[in-house]
Amino acid sequence: MLLLDYQNVLIESLLKDRFSPDSTPSSIDQVVSDFDNVTFHISTPNSKTQILISIAVKCYPELVKYGADAVLQREYGPYIVAPEQGYDFSVQVDLENLPAEQEEKDDLIRRISLLKRNAMAAPFEQAFDEYTSLAEQASHYTSETAPQGVREGGEVRAIHYRDQEAIYVKASHDRVTVIFSTVFSDETDRIYGKVFLQEFVDARRRAIQNAPQVLFRNDPPLELQGIPGLQSGKDKIGYITFVLFPRHLTPQRRYEVISHIQTFRDYFHYHIKASKAYIHSRMRKRTADFLQILRRARPEAEEKERKTASGRTFRVQA
Amino acid sequence: MATQTPAVVMDNGTGYSKLGFAGNDSPSFVFPTAIATKGPGGGGGSAGSGRPAVGNKPSFLTGGAGPTGHLSAKRGTEDLDFFIGDEALTASAGPGYGLSYPIRHGQIENWDQMERFWSNSIFKYLRVEPEDHYFLLTEPPLNPPENRENTAEIMFESFNCAGLYIAVQAVLALAASWTSSKVQDRSLTGTVIDSGEGVTHVIPVAEGYVIGSSIKSIPIAGRDITYFVQSLLRDRGEPDSSLKTAERIKEEFCYVCPDIVKEFARFDREPEDRFKKYEVKHPNGRSVSVDVGYERFLAPEIFFNPEIYSSDFLTPLPTIVDSVIQSSPIDVRRGLYKNIVLSGGSTLYNQFGRRLQRDIRHLVDARIAASEVRAGNAAKSGGLDVQVITHRRQRHGPWFGGSLLGQTPEFRSYCHTKAEYDEIGPSIVRKFALLGGPGST
Ligand SMILES: Nc1ncnc2c1ncn2[C@@H]1O[C@H](COP(=O)(O)OP(=O)(O)O)[C@@H](O)[C@H]1O
Ligand SMILES: [Mg+2]
Repeated sequence: MLLLDYQNVLIESLLKDRFSPDSTPSSIDQVVSDFDNVTFHISTPNSKTQILISIAVKCYPELVKYGADAVLQREYGPYIVAPEQGYDFSVQVDLENLPAEQEEKDDLIRRISLLKRNAMAAPFEQAFDEYTSLAEQASHYTSETAPQGVREGGEVRAIHYRDQEAIYVKASHDRVTVIFSTVFSDETDRIYGKVFLQEFVDARRRAIQNAPQVLFRNDPPLELQGIPGLQSGKDKIGYITFVLFPRHLTPQRRYEVISHIQTFRDYFHYHIKASKAYIHSRMRKRTADFLQILRRARPEAEEKERKTASGRTFRVQA
Repeated sequence: MATQTPAVVMDNGTGYSKLGFAGNDSPSFVFPTAIATKGPGGGGGSAGSGRPAVGNKPSFLTGGAGPTGHLSAKRGTEDLDFFIGDEALTASAGPGYGLSYPIRHGQIENWDQMERFWSNSIFKYLRVEPEDHYFLLTEPPLNPPENRENTAEIMFESFNCAGLYIAVQAVLALAASWTSSKVQDRSLTGTVIDSGEGVTHVIPVAEGYVIGSSIKSIPIAGRDITYFVQSLLRDRGEPDSSLKTAERIKEEFCYVCPDIVKEFARFDREPEDRFKKYEVKHPNGRSVSVDVGYERFLAPEIFFNPEIYSSDFLTPLPTIVDSVIQSSPIDVRRGLYKNIVLSGGSTLYNQFGRRLQRDIRHLVDARIAASEVRAGNAAKSGGLDVQVITHRRQRHGPWFGGSLLGQTPEFRSYCHTKAEYDEIGPSIVRKFALLGGPGST
């Protein structure tokens, strides 16, 4: 697994199972976590044929501020129900009232299993739209004559999606900048993280010209000037900046880019951990090889000849 | 929600892994503890030095190049090219991948594979950042302390998990039985019969501590019963006698009878009622019908009459249970007879508990009667209460017990944390305070 899935596998497999014609409805009640302080509750509170899926997101108020309601309305329209107590948003599907075509069913499964992705997509969609409009306005000016708002770009959208980590999204007329703040809980992780990020930077230089520009630093980048609550400096915290250029922002690529970029933090930390696992297996292999050498090198019983410190040999009397 | 993240509960068995979050009444994922890696399969952890082929460079150095990962084709990412669980079975059916089972007889044998299995369990299936969660893992009885340390090393050093508790499966299975109405006191004293895919353990537990010297294991469990069903299907020349079909038939149709001679007679008397048919649906849309006959009661009978299956293991399960309890300290025996708890997939046969209880009772009563005769009938014993607990959570007993204990408010204080591990090192996990013991809720 190179990339993390965007969808929740449990929701996907549960729905797939229940949507299939020869499955027998049965009750479900699972509270499960997902990345980034997301909690799902999948249950059948009223009848076995009505599956309620609720999501709680730590930063939900911020997502709403950046247009989550409209995005969720667009994605889940008729399936939306009043949010379950303790959760931010709920959808319900009725197994007795599913779309007729298999294709539509699959699409519904996919949509619902992407609930987290879609909720978190709102600020990105908003920023991408803002870019489009700024780009349109900017095309009427030269860089000197452009009015303030167009030259500076829009506001910074801050999404505090984890306890100490946030995503910042800012649109300009020629780019969208996405900044992740991330915390390394472990010294080793920080080192792995640096190597990993360097690889991103190099990858762009080497071959993948299409890749977004990536910058890494320990204190807040310029774009975040004046934003409250920023932690700065030291090695524990890092700021990773992605610059998305117009070619990443086309309507055709938008969906994929948003999916990718919002999982970046978890993807990054997953790879750090997978790399450590990998190094561990190298170490185990080395240890095993070394032990084998030692075992082979065990002196034979009949070894008789020995040397003194000055190099003279003598024979051990058996 | 400002509440704490739920603990992650992982019960990795020889055959199946049960994964989920504390507080739920069933695991979110149950899939084979299998991993498919590039190249030929290890067949199991014990092959050679038990190491899989390792690529030359970790993936991030070679081209897990992120959002535009097309470099991965050119530069190796072998260490991330693997599948676990059902996906592993699928992948290994095609070319290029070999299948391995990193756990043997309940113990982890291949740590490289296990580390990768966990990595995928956490990031692909459970989808959690391990730094945000406490973990409850299970271990078999008599797990060597080095294995615990290896586990801790992986959980803390690779994954940075916030906290870790490793519990003995049998103790968790006892906790799981608390949901049964037959269990009046939430005691951690009892005899656990844990029968899964590869082995059956009989484990006496006194106040949360396993009486290690009295444990017995039996080389008969789920896989053997599946093989036995398969051999009967083959003998009859059924149109499908694959292992998968045998397993399905076993799980759906098998039960334990009180008396095999009478059961044979019953099949002859009421054939329409007793003989069944099992439809095997092939992916290509065709289906064949397999007859299901005497294996329905004969297969699980090998627990009670091993000689019908094996020539080198001949002691019936009830006799083993009785001798395990007899070899335990005398002052706990009463408690061990009174609370015999079933756990694991291979204890799910209908009437399994009832037959076991009857047979153990016979053994106990016979011994009491004999000793009364020897004592010249002078001392009439009050008898001994033998009770086998069948309950609703027994299928995933250890997992459910973990879910129960992992959601208690004090759970976190029983864990070792990442900070403690960093300070003291792997040896810290040699000891855990007893979770769910006296004094806790
Ligand atoms: N309903 C059932 N009846 C009989 N056997 C079952 C049933 N369900 C599962 N099993 C068997 O239980 C075994 C798995 O049990 P489990 O306790 O998960 O094993 P382990 O912990 O050793 O991996 C498999 O052999 C499976 O075929
Ligand atoms: Mg087990």
